[in-house]
Amino acid sequence: MNFIAKLFAVIQGLMVVLVTFSATPTYAHGEKAQQPALRMRTVHWFDVDLSTRKLDVNQILVVKGSFVPSLSWPEHVASIEDTAYLNVGVPGPSFVRLDSRVNGVPTIRSSSYKRGERYNFEITLKARTPGRYHLHPIINVKDAGPMIGPGIWVEVGGDPAKFENSIKTLFDQTLDLETHGFANAASWSAVWLVLGLVWFGYWLTKVPLILPRFRRASALGENADDMITTRDRQAALVILVATLMLIAGGYFYATERWPVTTPLQTGKIKTPTLKMEPSPVVVTMDDARYRIPGRSFRIEVTVSNSGQSPMNIGEFASGGLRFINSAVLKVTPKDQDDLVAQDALRVEGGPIKPGETKKIVIYADDAMWETQRMTTMIASPDAVVAGMLFFFDAQGRRYPVEISGPMIPLFGG
Amino acid sequence: MSVLTPAEAAFSPQEAARVDAQVDWVVIPLFVVLLGAVFAFQFALLVGDWDYWIDWRDRRYWPLVTPLVLVILPGVFGYAFWKLLRIPLGATLSILGLTLTGWLSRYLNFHEFAGFPMNFVIPSTFIGVGLLIDCTLLLTRSWFFTGIFAGFLSGLLLYPMNWPLLAPFMVPVEMHGTLMTVADVMGFEYIRTAMPEYVRIIEQSTLRTFGDAVTPLTAVFAGFLTILSLWFWAWIGSLGVKAVWLRKVV
Repeated sequence: MNFIAKLFAVIQGLMVVLVTFSATPTYAHGEKAQQPALRMRTVHWFDVDLSTRKLDVNQILVVKGSFVPSLSWPEHVASIEDTAYLNVGVPGPSFVRLDSRVNGVPTIRSSSYKRGERYNFEITLKARTPGRYHLHPIINVKDAGPMIGPGIWVEVGGDPAKFENSIKTLFDQTLDLETHGFANAASWSAVWLVLGLVWFGYWLTKVPLILPRFRRASALGENADDMITTRDRQAALVILVATLMLIAGGYFYATERWPVTTPLQTGKIKTPTLKMEPSPVVVTMDDARYRIPGRSFRIEVTVSNSGQSPMNIGEFASGGLRFINSAVLKVTPKDQDDLVAQDALRVEGGPIKPGETKKIVIYADDAMWETQRMTTMIASPDAVVAGMLFFFDAQGRRYPVEISGPMIPLFGG
Repeated sequence: MSVLTPAEAAFSPQEAARVDAQVDWVVIPLFVVLLGAVFAFQFALLVGDWDYWIDWRDRRYWPLVTPLVLVILPGVFGYAFWKLLRIPLGATLSILGLTLTGWLSRYLNFHEFAGFPMNFVIPSTFIGVGLLIDCTLLLTRSWFFTGIFAGFLSGLLLYPMNWPLLAPFMVPVEMHGTLMTVADVMGFEYIRTAMPEYVRIIEQSTLRTFGDAVTPLTAVFAGFLTILSLWFWAWIGSLGVKAVWLRKVV
């Protein structure tokens, strides 16, 4: 028994050591951990890019892109049409955010976004801490959580000690946000600490304290108050008066030094939708089957083209994965972790001529379904999928259309 | 080797005093660290973000929630210290412990590890609350009156006690056509991926019936609630010191 206990103790110790020393830094933001239904049916991101992928501390990085809240947003997930916030996924404040706009409107505060509408966003960041970061745009949806956009690696160099970040108040004072108010707060905290230690120190002068006072308090019982001396009362009175005076003095000092202040600001802002021309392409998803052994998604759609030019399908994007029809579109991955399959979209049924309505079958086949943990969609209690189809006319103009519907998994063949 | 008789084994008064003092020097520092750790955990659970970030310390919820939570351990340990030792130090000592762990946590976790500037995560100061409770207890020698006076003053004065720390962050700023405070700007600029703006539980509108007297009304209301909170937790402390196991241990 003793041997077994020792053995377990040794194994536990080894496990702790192994886990501790095998831990590696994490660079991603859990996008693979989100269930496929959330990734496919909440926010469709596209055209996300950075103004630069290598910069120094104090230099500016602009994150640009577009998103469309899905019309197939799950009923059980809190809606983006209530409260949402455009955010950035980076490890801590490695950048400071100088500006953030959706459809041209500053999104310092929370907003709401309509399903099916397109929103263009632009986030201006300033590099603060050197490092290599996987940067994602994110939409935080109240009561639902973060909806993570595609990540792009960015490398920040330079000297963090040279980072500068200042603002001007309405009184034209320039404040350094890295240090503003710290010395003042630390000084006041120190003054309070001294007063607290004086009171503590007063009682420490009576050491030995614990055992003698316990014995005496137990012996005196109801009369234990007799242990309090006149000097104790005087000390308490002095400290009490000093406490009240410090509170009053600090308050009047602060109101004198910062006479005009404002309560913390919050509230929601309205984001206008983009005025878009009606799309000449109307698509209905007729059937969707995911064949597990082949990691192959087969989707049947009926497409109507009311435009003047034949339409080709160039891309299918879903859950952050992009499947490209290389016959129509050439895409180069931004980095080794860009979730793009450059030649993984097969389209059967050819171009859709002007005025034509026809059935098209597309195949999105790639191991990304597996590696990005999208195959767990077969375990969803609500087996509905959604994604964006990107049509291109003869002039190369792009027409994004959302498709959604039930999905049937195929387990063999 | 000779065997000590019971009389020889007994401590002399000098030896007994030395042992008593040694007990103090071991127990008191351990107690400060233990109180600090327990308080930091309890405070993180019940106040948490309200006290972590400068852009959460509003004038309605922060001064209401904080004193209610802040008097929990001072109530429990204050009662125990008073009942068992007649030392009015439980409140100050526990808040000193909280201050110590608060500063350590903000510096090591928030500043060094997560990279936030210290001015964005600076701890509030609460030592005055401990002193109000302990000194009132000593002067009145009554938990009833300590609750009435010190409990009320703790809720009432928490905001002015911290105003010298907070005021520089409440200076108005214009950002992209939006009125903000310095604290709001910091909250926007220093990215917190897991903390969107809407997560902040702060004042969203004024108390309509009372005009814009938000801070004084909150302070008075907090004062009344803190009386009840301090009484309740002192009562919990009274149950604690009655515990039979505690007497057996001591």
